[in-house]
Amino acid sequence: MSVPLSDLEADVASVNEVDEPKKGAIAGRSPTQLAMARLRHDKVSMVAFAVIVISILMAIASPILENMGILDPYTPHYDLVGGLGTLPNGPFGGIGWHHMLGVEPGIGRDVLSRVFLGVTFSLMISTAATIISVVFGMVFGIISGYAGGATDFWISRWMDLILAFPQLLMLLALSPVLKDRITSMGVPAGTATSAVYLIVVLGFFGWPYLARIVRGQVLTLRNREFVEAARSLGATRRRIWFRELLPNLWAPLLVYVSLTLPLFISAEAALSFLGVGLQAPTPSLGNILNDSVSYFDPDPTFFFVPGIVLVLIVLAFNMLGDGLRDALDPKSSR
Amino acid sequence: MARNRRQLAVAYVSAAVALATVAACSSSGGSKSKTSGTAGNSSSASTPAKNTKTGGTVYYLTKRPTEHWDPTRIYVGRDIADSSRLFYRTLVQYGTGAGADSNKLYPDLATDLGTASNGNKTWKFTLKSGIKWQDGSPITCADVAYGISRSFATDILTGGPNYSIQFLNIPAETKDTKNWTSAYHGPFNKVGQALYDKAVSCTGNTITFNLKKPVGDFNFATTLPAFAPYKQSQDQGAKSNYSIFSDGPYMLQGTWVKDKGATFVRNPNYDPKTDSPGIRNALPNQFVFVEGLATETIFDRLLANSGNDQFAVTDRAAPPAYLARVAAQKDRYTDVNSPFIDYVVPNFTKMTNPLVRQALYLSTDRAGYIAAEGGPSVASVANGLVLPALGAAGGYKQFKAYDAPDSGDPTKAAALLKQAGVKLPYPIHFTYSGGTPTSDKQASALAAGWEKAGFKVTLEGLTDTYYDIVQNPANAAKYDVTWGGWGADWPNASTVIPPLFDSRVNLSSTTNGQDYGLYKSDAVNAAIDKAYNTTDAAQRNAMWGDIDEMLAKDVAYVPLDNTKFPRLHGSKVTNYVESASTNGYPDLGQVGASS
Repeated sequence: MSVPLSDLEADVASVNEVDEPKKGAIAGRSPTQLAMARLRHDKVSMVAFAVIVISILMAIASPILENMGILDPYTPHYDLVGGLGTLPNGPFGGIGWHHMLGVEPGIGRDVLSRVFLGVTFSLMISTAATIISVVFGMVFGIISGYAGGATDFWISRWMDLILAFPQLLMLLALSPVLKDRITSMGVPAGTATSAVYLIVVLGFFGWPYLARIVRGQVLTLRNREFVEAARSLGATRRRIWFRELLPNLWAPLLVYVSLTLPLFISAEAALSFLGVGLQAPTPSLGNILNDSVSYFDPDPTFFFVPGIVLVLIVLAFNMLGDGLRDALDPKSSR
Repeated sequence: MARNRRQLAVAYVSAAVALATVAACSSSGGSKSKTSGTAGNSSSASTPAKNTKTGGTVYYLTKRPTEHWDPTRIYVGRDIADSSRLFYRTLVQYGTGAGADSNKLYPDLATDLGTASNGNKTWKFTLKSGIKWQDGSPITCADVAYGISRSFATDILTGGPNYSIQFLNIPAETKDTKNWTSAYHGPFNKVGQALYDKAVSCTGNTITFNLKKPVGDFNFATTLPAFAPYKQSQDQGAKSNYSIFSDGPYMLQGTWVKDKGATFVRNPNYDPKTDSPGIRNALPNQFVFVEGLATETIFDRLLANSGNDQFAVTDRAAPPAYLARVAAQKDRYTDVNSPFIDYVVPNFTKMTNPLVRQALYLSTDRAGYIAAEGGPSVASVANGLVLPALGAAGGYKQFKAYDAPDSGDPTKAAALLKQAGVKLPYPIHFTYSGGTPTSDKQASALAAGWEKAGFKVTLEGLTDTYYDIVQNPANAAKYDVTWGGWGADWPNASTVIPPLFDSRVNLSSTTNGQDYGLYKSDAVNAAIDKAYNTTDAAQRNAMWGDIDEMLAKDVAYVPLDNTKFPRLHGSKVTNYVESASTNGYPDLGQVGASS
C-alpha cells in the first residue's frame, strides 16, 4: 500500500516549518548539509566543539608563546617552594599574578605553562597516532571488504591477531627495545624518541578497530546499485574505491576520529603514568597528571588543575563524537 | 657493588661511631665475655622502653621484589639486613643497631671476632658447638667453606659480592673466559678445587682463611650473607634462588613467591643461647612479607593505621607528597640517614677537557636536586663519596674540591667553559634511573643548573632496568653524564673507592663494572695499591680520604647528596629501630608486635 499523497505533503510542510522560515524557494539539501544542520541544533555538541577549538588554538599558540618567553615551563623557582616535601609557598598552590595556576611542588615550575605545553604535546601525539590508524584502517578496511576471499581472510586474521595482543603489556615490554631502534634510525634521543614511539605504537594498535568498521560498510556497499553500475560501466578499481566507496565512509570515519582522539589522549596519559611516556622535562598531560595524583592532600590545586584540563578535553571530544553520530545517522535515535 | 636505586637502596654502610676497624676487630678472643649482656639491652636514650613481649605477627610491606634469597647472591642492603636478622647467620654479625652498638661486631656462628695473624693475611674463626640447621642437623665447618666457595661459581650464581674472589689466596684466571675471574670455578664444576681447599681449610671446628693481601677488616666482610654457611645437600644451583634453608630464628613457610612474598614462622631448631644476646630477639611469632605494593599505597595504609597495618613496617622512604602527613605522625615517624651517596660521573672518553668537567662540577645545582627530592629534611649535601658518618677512622676526609654554593656557581662555570674554548652550548646527554616524577624532577633540576652555565642537556631516564644498561660498554658512547648511587659495604672507604674507580677491577670488554664514567687513571690505581699495602690503619684510612679528594679534583665524579629514609611504621610495632647495623632499614631482630 502506498502512502497517500496528502500525508507526504504534510510531512514536508512540517519539516519546512521547523527548519525553513523562507517562503517559496524549496532548495534541495545534501545529506551533509542536513547532518550539519542537525548538529548545529545540538547545544551540547556545540559547546563541546567550542572547547575543542579553544584547546586546539591553545595547543598551537603555546609553543609560540614559549618562544616569546611568555610561557616558561622549564625554569625552576626555588624561592616559591619550601618546607617539608617542598610544597608551594602561599595558599592555593602558590597562585598569583605571575603563576596563575600556581607552581609545581618540588622545583616550582609554572603550572599554567606546563599544562598549556602539555596539551600541545598530548594533542600532537594523539592526532598523529589517529592519522596513522585512520590511513591504515581505511586502506586495509576497503581492500579487505572489497576484495573478499583469501585477501579478506588474511587481513581479517591479522587484525584479530593485533586485537588479541595484551596491548598495555606489549607497550611496556617493547619500550626499551623499540626506543633504541627508533634512536638508531636517526631520531634524536629523549623526547623525540618517546614521542615517535608513542605515535607508532598507538597508531599500530589502533587501526584494526576502524578497519573492521570500514570492512563491514564496504561489504554492504559493494553490492549496491551504484557500485554495480560503476563496475558495469568499466570503472577502474581505483575509481570505485576512491570515488564510489570512500565518500560513503565519511560518516563512520568522522565518528571514529572524534572518539579515538580522546582515547589516545587518555592512553598517552596512562602510558606516561606507567613510565613510558614523554621524557622529562618535556610536559605532557600524562606526566603532569602522574605527578599530581599523589598531591591530593598536600596541594589540592596542583592535583585538580591538570586533571580538570584532561577531563574537559576528553569529555568534549566524546560529546562531539556522540553528537556527530546522532547527526550523521538519525536512525540511531536516542 | 652497593648501589642505590632511588629510594630503594642497595648495600651496606655505616653511620655513627665507626670504630677503628682494624684495631678493634683483628684483636680477637678476649672480647667474647664483654659482648654478652651488653648487646641487645644497651638501648640508648633515644629508644623507648623495651617491650619484650613475644607473639603476634609483623607485616613487612614493600614494593620492589627481592631478586635473590640465595645467600651467595644477596647484595641489596635491605635483603642483607633482613636475611641476617631472620634466617641466615654468619661468622660475625653487627650489634643491635641502637646507639653505639650500631656497626659494632659481635660473634655469631663463631666464638669470637676472628683472629688475624701473618700480618692480617691469615684469619681463623672457630665455630660454636650446638648450632643447627632448620632440619636439626649440625652446622659444620665444611658447610661454611662450601657456602663461601659458591661465590666463585660466577657462571651460575650471579649478582653477589666478590670479596671472597678479591681476598682469598687463589690466583686469577689466566685464560680468557667470560664467566670467571678466578682460577677456581666454584663447587659445581670443581675446576681448581685444590686451590680453594688450600685457601680455605677446616681443622675440626676451626676455619682458616689464607688471603692474598693484608685485609685488616676481613671479619667485616664475613657479615655478608655470601659468607654464610650453605648445606651442600640443599644446593640446586640457580634453582635455589628463592629457597631458604634457615639457621636463624625463623624459617620459610611453604615457598617464596616473587612479587607476592611469603610468611616466616619460628624455626624450632634455633637455640637463642647460641646467639649473641640481643641481636636477634625474635619477638613476633611470624613475619609476613608482602611485595609489589605501590609506595603510595603503602603510605596510605600506614597513615590509615588500621587492622593488620598497625603491625606493619616498610623499607620504603616516603615520597615528597607524603612527607608532611607522614612527619605529622610524631610517634610513628622516623627519618634516619641512609648509607647512600648520590653522585654523577662524566664520561671520560667524551668529556676529556678538564675545564669542561670543572664547569660541570661548578654548575651542578645540588640544592635544587635536594629540593626536588623533598627538601633538606630528607637529604643533605655531599662533598665527597665517603659518608661523613664514617669519620676519619672509616676513611672520610672533609674537603670541598671546588668552591661553589650548594646551588652551583653558573657564572664561574660559564667562564670556565669559555676558557675551554669549546663550542657552546656544549651538548650533554644525561642518563639516570627514572620512571618516577620525583627522579624526573631531580634530573630536571640538575639540567636547569647545567644549562645556566652553557650546557645543552638531553635527559634520558631509564625506566625498566638501570645499572645493567649503563654498565654495558656499548651504551657508554652514548652518555656524557651518568647518575649513580653507592653505599659502603662495611664502614670503610675501601668498600667505596676501589669498587667504583679502580679501572683494573671494573673495565673489561663485556662490562664497565661500577666505573660508569670509564674513569682510568694510573695515578689513582697506584694510590689504591699503596693504600692497600699500608699496614698502619690510621695512615691507610687517611690515604683513602686523600684519594677521594684526588678523584673529586679530577671530577671523576660530582657528589650530590646523602639521602635520608623518612618512614612510618604501624602503631602496634614495638622496639622499632633503624640503624647503620641494618643499613638504615627496620631492624627485624628487634621489632615486636604488641596486641
